[in-house]
Amino acid sequence: MAPAKSASPGADSHAREAFEADALEYVDSLYRTALWLTRVPSDADDLVQDTYLKAFRAADSFTAGTNIRAWLFTILHNAARNRARGRARDTVTVDSDVVDHAAEVPQFGLSGRVDDPETLLLKNALAPEIQAAVDELPDAFREAVWLRDVEEFSYAEIAGMLSIPVGTVMSRISRGRRMLFGRLQHLRPVNA
Amino acid sequence: MPECAHIDALVTPFVDDALPEGERQTVTRHITACPACRAKVAVERSIRSLMQARRADLAPPAPADLKSRCAALRARQAAPVVDFASGRTASRVAVLSAWRARLAPYALAASLLLAVAGVFLYQATRSSSRVLAAELAMDHEKCFGLNALLGTQHSSDTVEAAMADGFDWHMRLPDISEHDDVNLVGSRLCLYGEGKTAHIMYRHNGRPVSLFMLPSESRADELVKVLGHQARIWSAGDRTFVLVANEPAPEMERMTALVRTTLR
Repeated sequence: MAPAKSASPGADSHAREAFEADALEYVDSLYRTALWLTRVPSDADDLVQDTYLKAFRAADSFTAGTNIRAWLFTILHNAARNRARGRARDTVTVDSDVVDHAAEVPQFGLSGRVDDPETLLLKNALAPEIQAAVDELPDAFREAVWLRDVEEFSYAEIAGMLSIPVGTVMSRISRGRRMLFGRLQHLRPVNA
Repeated sequence: MPECAHIDALVTPFVDDALPEGERQTVTRHITACPACRAKVAVERSIRSLMQARRADLAPPAPADLKSRCAALRARQAAPVVDFASGRTASRVAVLSAWRARLAPYALAASLLLAVAGVFLYQATRSSSRVLAAELAMDHEKCFGLNALLGTQHSSDTVEAAMADGFDWHMRLPDISEHDDVNLVGSRLCLYGEGKTAHIMYRHNGRPVSLFMLPSESRADELVKVLGHQARIWSAGDRTFVLVANEPAPEMERMTALVRTTLR
């Protein structure tokens, strides 16, 4: 005799609908990050659609109650990495530990003058300047800073997403932030 | 200071408020006395604040229709329905302007796609709402599949004229919001032996939604779940309406509310 089904198709269908509706809440967030990674709107658009296609296909592998946003970002990151590899672009360094050791943090004179650089930067930095400074960062650092400071993921979530240790996540965020500050300071020297 | 190398590794988690209390206090004490490490904390904090504050400048919002295109990927997973109306902007604009003029402040936050078909109604459906719902759910699937192949497209005026000619139903299509993801597919009329039902097809977030109108028919209000779909049934005057979709009950009620205010 065939075993009784544990859940009705209706229940499965509702769970699926809830999953899909939840997933679609993050289109904007995923697009922002995709644009940040690819720098090209049409590529970001493709990447997000690619992410959803994979997510809907892999819905069964998602554990209900866990962080769907982090799960989607993991798919996005992997899709971006695969594309970068396919195109043999330099973005392959996204998951390369070499970059963690290769990029030197520039010297930017950490004197008492930057005790309160926040006000200075927030007041004076222009979006194009920030964008230019960000664009110069190695991808691994850009991504780590973005995921932490803009998307507000935890270290553990970022580590899971990028398949790197938490220590490496912290190191990339640290280097990324300091390099970014150095570049912005270079663009807008402290006059005070 | 001898401690500086050790503190340096703690600066980032300190800024991110991710240190255990003991280490947090260690860093706090150290930076009070050490300007160099205090500056490192300030640098990281400033960048973090800057990125948070300038998020909108650094990445524009997603294109308006990206969500519906992603939702359509979901629809394709569930059923082989093709968004065949995309790219036909001329009619789309005409439909939008025509529909926008027509009420419904709480319109569907939806993409819409529309076609009309006459649908056969079995005698058995006269006695059972469940049979009616099952019948219409099958027609819903069939007509969306067929329209995907035919790719027909008409204006809202054509659809309204078809309703008037075919069913003596002088209706106005419901306004479906200011949303730009609105596609009109067109009308199709299928005639069968025993009767016919008006069938108007929409897309809601990329997924097919059908509205059926049964002339000379009256039914009690009901939500019937059948064949993986929900069928919301109600009557107005001598017409019965059935909304069929694979959507959660609250969404069914929202769509029903929109349609009910417009169609009689």
